[in-house]
Amino acid sequence: MKQSTTSNVDVKGALVKKGAFHGFLTSSPIALLPLFLFLLVFFLWPIGALTGNAFKSNEGAFTFSNVTMLFQDPYRMAFKNSITLGLLSGLVGAIPGLAIAMAIEKQGNQTLKKFIASISGVLANTGGVPLAFMFLAAFGPAGLVISALKSVGLDLYGLGFTLFSFTGLIIVYAYFQIPIMVIVITPALTSLRKEWKDSAANLGASKFQYWQKVGLPILMPSFIACYLLLFASAFSAFATARALTVGNIALVPLQIGALVDGNVTINQANLGYALAFGMIIISLVAMIPYIWIQNRTARWQVR
Amino acid sequence: MRAQRLVVAATSAAILVSGLVVLTAPAQAAVNYCTVQNLQQAGGMDALVKAAKAEKELNIITVPRDWANYGEAIDLFTNAFGIKINDDNPEGSSAYEIQTIKTAPASKQPDVVDIGVSVLPDALGIGRKALFAPYKVATWNDIPAEWKDSNGLWYGDYYGLMAISYDASLPKAPTSIKALLTDPAFKGAFALSGDPTSSQQALMGLFAIAAANGGSATNIMPGIEALKAAKAAGNFVSVIGNSANYAAGAYKATITWDFNGPGAIATSAAAGKPLKFVIPSDVALQGTPYLQAINTKAPHCAAARLWEEFLYSQNIGKGSKDITAADKKLSGSKLFKLIMGGQNIWVAGAAHPITEAAMIKKKTIVDAPEGFAVPKTAKRIAPSPDQQTEQKAIVVTEWPKL
Amino acid sequence: MASAMKKNFAANLVLIVTGIFIFFPLYAATEFSLRNGAEHTHGFAAYRWIFAQSGFIENLGITLRVTSLAVVLNLLIMVPTVTWLHLSGQRYKRLVEILTILPLIFPVVALATGAQLAMPDFMQNSVYELSFFYVVIAMPYTYRALDIGLSGHPLSTITNAARNLGASWLKTLSSVVIPTIRPSILAALFLMVALSLGEFTLAQLLHWSTFPVWVTNVSQQNVIGATALAIGSLFFAWILLFGFSFLGSKNSTTVQEEE
Repeated sequence: MKQSTTSNVDVKGALVKKGAFHGFLTSSPIALLPLFLFLLVFFLWPIGALTGNAFKSNEGAFTFSNVTMLFQDPYRMAFKNSITLGLLSGLVGAIPGLAIAMAIEKQGNQTLKKFIASISGVLANTGGVPLAFMFLAAFGPAGLVISALKSVGLDLYGLGFTLFSFTGLIIVYAYFQIPIMVIVITPALTSLRKEWKDSAANLGASKFQYWQKVGLPILMPSFIACYLLLFASAFSAFATARALTVGNIALVPLQIGALVDGNVTINQANLGYALAFGMIIISLVAMIPYIWIQNRTARWQVR
Repeated sequence: MRAQRLVVAATSAAILVSGLVVLTAPAQAAVNYCTVQNLQQAGGMDALVKAAKAEKELNIITVPRDWANYGEAIDLFTNAFGIKINDDNPEGSSAYEIQTIKTAPASKQPDVVDIGVSVLPDALGIGRKALFAPYKVATWNDIPAEWKDSNGLWYGDYYGLMAISYDASLPKAPTSIKALLTDPAFKGAFALSGDPTSSQQALMGLFAIAAANGGSATNIMPGIEALKAAKAAGNFVSVIGNSANYAAGAYKATITWDFNGPGAIATSAAAGKPLKFVIPSDVALQGTPYLQAINTKAPHCAAARLWEEFLYSQNIGKGSKDITAADKKLSGSKLFKLIMGGQNIWVAGAAHPITEAAMIKKKTIVDAPEGFAVPKTAKRIAPSPDQQTEQKAIVVTEWPKL
Repeated sequence: MASAMKKNFAANLVLIVTGIFIFFPLYAATEFSLRNGAEHTHGFAAYRWIFAQSGFIENLGITLRVTSLAVVLNLLIMVPTVTWLHLSGQRYKRLVEILTILPLIFPVVALATGAQLAMPDFMQNSVYELSFFYVVIAMPYTYRALDIGLSGHPLSTITNAARNLGASWLKTLSSVVIPTIRPSILAALFLMVALSLGEFTLAQLLHWSTFPVWVTNVSQQNVIGATALAIGSLFFAWILLFGFSFLGSKNSTTVQEEE
């Protein structure tokens, strides 16, 4: 559909009366000024101040030493762990999330759709102490499910299963990662128009061929974009990791917490800010493909 | 008629006398409570209480209610003097306290802090102005010399011993740290009270474990090795040993300060999972005292100083629930003498107040709660601040490899 | 036919397995929250507990006031901007999308510390500074809600149509534009309110006692009460969202765009 042009001429060609509201329709980016100013003052300015501190020593002099420390253990280990956690947790959230979204599309039941949408919206926001507690109450050493299984002879903890490990963390993260995936990929699934499936079938394509040539190529960019979102979410999750571990798994958010707010290593807040700076860089790097993909796929989505 | 004249005479006499009193009394409004360094300079307890009441509020920071019975201290102070206490981030750390003083706006500054020894160097600011205002409480001389600053910038308040807290429903009671980590009966039971790279209490717990396994205040590695072995054996659960996780059944025993005992026992009972405390029979780790200080940027200077006087008072007196309306109308000094002193409130919380020795001599100390006696077999260990700094560098690198 | 049944079976299996995964933690925590503590019975005592705590009204009031300002700010800044983007600023959409996703990348700890370093005192002494930051934190979600909502309607087309039919700009705005975008505005505002009512980290790091901060502090000694609160708000939010999704459906008929 042709978008309206930015001239002062309406469709019939007659000059439109100018007024205050018409000024609103100006095509110059000055209309974005309120938003820009708001973001500048309440977002970019604080973040800038913080980044400055990442490069300051305790006495206030400019230094790279905080940033170079990031490449040594235990901080290097923490970055490695956090990135791995992000990548794995992203997968564990993305694939089941896609499967569920597809399953719901298949079902077609509108009320079920709304039900899943609303519970996904709520669960996507769970985390931290409440989420950790929920899992401990169900799958912890004295949890309901574990005790029930024990009573029928299956001792999961005895067999080596534990919630307090890297794997356990991924399992718990899935609780909010999967709903995020469901919420974000559903519009992309909806945009896979039924007409395309029917046309492909009419032209003789099998179901597999449809998915191979049409469905997946269209879906893949959105899938990757959503995956990157899940990566960022798992990478920077803090409260849940703290509630479930005791520092034995080095993770960047936990270390920032320890440096900026801890009781033991003091006077290293600037190192904490440098860690935060490192996190921001990595998240930005993860976001670039996301933005590029969104650019490419926008035209296929129902807009 | 005569009665009327008497009343008039009496009233005029009263006015005359009070006018004389006002004229001759020291100019109270001129006292700047932010620079007052002791009770005499404040003009006495009556004046201090009056000024504190006028300020109406007190900002404290990172004080959990169930820590060393602080909840009772807060309630008693508020009930008696009508001063509202604002507690910023009760579960926060000492570093958070210093960070807040450095970065928070004027209205959010804490009036007083209760910090661990490890953040003191940062607060005293080698090369820049210290963050604290000097003040010496009335019982200053009872504080041991090594735990107070000669200028009154900071002063120790209480210390604790490491105790084992455990689920009352365990088949047998863990009486020693070594047993807790190695006995198969305690499989899946033990958790550390926190992350030793960021929690002072957890770091001290690690020291205790080290001492129980051949280590010392200068050698914490045996503690880490012992935990590694305990993890392999299944006794160690790598989760934070707090009350929420305990209620969820994630662990059954931990080592924590004895002064956390009464509060934790109450919280667990309310959650339906009774908790017991015992000092281990193999190690009695004595922590360095926590320290009190008044912030130079305190927004409520008189209330801050009254709070310190209250915390260091050795009175035996009324608790928060026993204050009557009549008591509140008493003059400041009388009311102060009536209420239980902070040092004794801490005793009731199973903490060891800093003026303990003097209180025992003067016989102004209440009885400690039952169950926190130190076994004779326990090896005493008390890591100094320097030793703590040394060993925690090792912990920071070794702990993530557990 | 057989493959269709298999596909349906697979779909149902996925839903059932995920359902179990989602169900049990919720069930376990709910069971815990209904306990009566020492008595080992069950009841709703823990759910009533928070209302009886002193400070409930005061702190709830603070959060409600902060939320109100945040909602107003959102209305003033986000709604006109997104409407303009759809009416005449399409070429700037990509830029704004990138800008509004930035707050997702930065940890709240960073924002809090930066805020204390940068903001002038008069702002830091008022609890309303939180409103401004909440608008920033909610921006990725509110922008998207508004954007997706508005995309469902060819806004330029209908405004042009209204203008062609002789309506003044005022009438167009009031009778055409605003009723069309109202569900999207409501969705965005709902997100803003939900975030503001639950936001904890920033409020605490900036040393304010808002409702979520007060609730966390007061729950330290009461594990069952704290769990009841978490579970209670979870179910409450869910019911609200579920009911809300039925409200929006009437107006949000998606219009397919012709290429």
